[in-house]
Amino acid sequence: MIPEPLKRLALADNVGLATILVVAVAALAIANPAFLTSFNLYVVLTSLALWTCVALAQMTTLAIGQMTLSLGSLGGLVAVTVGGLCEVWGVPLPLAIAIALLVGLAGGLLNGVLIAASGVNSFIITLATFSAFHGLTLGLTRAIPFYNMPAALKALGNARYGAIPLMLGIVLVVAVAVHIVFTRTRLGRHMLAYGGNPQAALLSGLSTARIVIAAHGLSGLLAAIAAILTVGRLQVAQPTIGEDWLIVSFAAPIIGGASLTGGHVSVPGTLLALALLAIINDALVLLGVDPFWVQVVLGGLILAVVGANRLREGHRLGEAVAR
Amino acid sequence: MTALDASSAPSRRVVPRWLTRPEIGLAAIIAIMVAVFSSIAPGFLSPFNAFAVARDLSVAIVLGYSMMVVLAVGGMNLAVGSIGVCAAMATAGMQAAGVPMPISVILGLASGAALGAVNGIVVVRTGLSSFMVTLATMSIYFGVMLLLSGAEAIRSLDADFIAFGRARIFGTVPVMFVVSIGLALILTYFYRATDIGRQMLFTGSNPKASELSGVPVVRTVVVAHALSGLLAGLAGIMLTARTGAGVPSMAGQIGRDWLLPAFIAPVLGGSALAGGSVAILGTLLGATLVGVLGSGLRMVNIGDFWIELFLGIILLFAVLADRLRSVWSPVSGTGP
Repeated sequence: MIPEPLKRLALADNVGLATILVVAVAALAIANPAFLTSFNLYVVLTSLALWTCVALAQMTTLAIGQMTLSLGSLGGLVAVTVGGLCEVWGVPLPLAIAIALLVGLAGGLLNGVLIAASGVNSFIITLATFSAFHGLTLGLTRAIPFYNMPAALKALGNARYGAIPLMLGIVLVVAVAVHIVFTRTRLGRHMLAYGGNPQAALLSGLSTARIVIAAHGLSGLLAAIAAILTVGRLQVAQPTIGEDWLIVSFAAPIIGGASLTGGHVSVPGTLLALALLAIINDALVLLGVDPFWVQVVLGGLILAVVGANRLREGHRLGEAVAR
Repeated sequence: MTALDASSAPSRRVVPRWLTRPEIGLAAIIAIMVAVFSSIAPGFLSPFNAFAVARDLSVAIVLGYSMMVVLAVGGMNLAVGSIGVCAAMATAGMQAAGVPMPISVILGLASGAALGAVNGIVVVRTGLSSFMVTLATMSIYFGVMLLLSGAEAIRSLDADFIAFGRARIFGTVPVMFVVSIGLALILTYFYRATDIGRQMLFTGSNPKASELSGVPVVRTVVVAHALSGLLAGLAGIMLTARTGAGVPSMAGQIGRDWLLPAFIAPVLGGSALAGGSVAILGTLLGATLVGVLGSGLRMVNIGDFWIELFLGIILLFAVLADRLRSVWSPVSGTGP
């Protein structure tokens, strides 16, 4: 028999994920000492930092039981906005970043307004805006990247303190802010309430349109932060930024315990999931595995974790009923 | 070849029902676009361009159907691009290895159906949403394909196979287009006259009621996913015959470039995401609209880059117009 406290611990959020993470780090450190070198840790943490806001952006829409397919193409639009403002118009960097953040916010708000006003499924609306944002990015730039980025922006993406990238500090502040929004503010609670049961939220007098618009606006803003950091990291404002965001944006929050049907998200869980993904990616590189395995492992991991979560939920439900 | 709706109820309305169908609107928009483009760019209606457009359309129509058949049971298949490339690479690989052309095509289609069936089995066994399952499998299938192919294009294809991609009848009609039209007729028969087809629509409109009334829901969902995989494979194989090479990147990284074209045709055509209906003619017209718009914009030198913006706006208008239509005809049986 498993003692009750241990069982409860095993069923608690994030414990399983944290355990896997610790085991993975230990195993990797033993298998290949190169893992613990300062540079390698910097690479892993950089990848974690770059993906954090992408995952949080999707997580915010998952909270209200919706999704954003347009996340990546909005990121691309924000990236070329920064690039174009700095290179073509010579706008000072802080102003360019502010405008780019506004573009991201506006794109997200547009999604929210269209969804709230029409009542059409968020999948279809954001599929349409995915295409529109991407077309806008390609049309404006003719698919040519902006290469002359300000030194400050490059520094933002590449500054490091030992193994810790500066970007990690920035995204952790953002992550804490998002965590506070969902755990401590009325807006966050309303979003989760709406995600859990839109009908009940409407009946209890919440302004559901405002919740939907706010969630998508926040999501757009987070996507914009991710895009700006990516430009800083790559040192080039490429129109292709965001094209590979789709899978990870869903994988991390879902592995971290969010449900596709809404009402439940976890910032710590999402961060743990991202750390795990970054470490697996690094392990494949360090162990000299064919890089094509990354796709297979990522897909397999999504299925395994989502399947396990489902089993766990069933178990919890069974217990609740038994009591 | 009209949209079939499992839950349609007779109702009285001011405007006759056929006039409010999405197919009518689509046909009108296509006619206007053809008129505008051919008056600006005289080459638009040339036999050469008509042939090229019809050939592109053929692939897009089949791709649209591959999504439509899973939408019908209330699911979706994000892995269509990934499966399409897998089937195409399997076919191309077998031809390069000397397998006779018909057998390579049949086995390629079978591999597509098998990958689709795996999606379906995972969906029904785990109870996870098809969105999540196919998001994962699109990555897995594509990764395995890269491992097996070494990410190399396969160019030594069967001569007859490439000839099929270029064949035409009556001077301008590509044989591939005839294949797509034939497929539309087969699907119409399938959903109207066969038990499994009707069970799919019933399952999509109300899984609980279907289960209770003895429909084998589990089998129906698996078959729908297998059919989706088969059609995605067909689209991939047709594209390979057209381009004359099996290219791992033909649908973009993990096949994501096919997502938009796969969804846009059935959604423009009036297929509900919630399931229960298929718009066979609508999907055909939806793909046609996208193809005509793309070709036209290229002819008038607006260029490839803006096409996606136009597509997004058209998709947006289509779903918003559809929404307004259902608001303006409150007696409609199905509701929002």
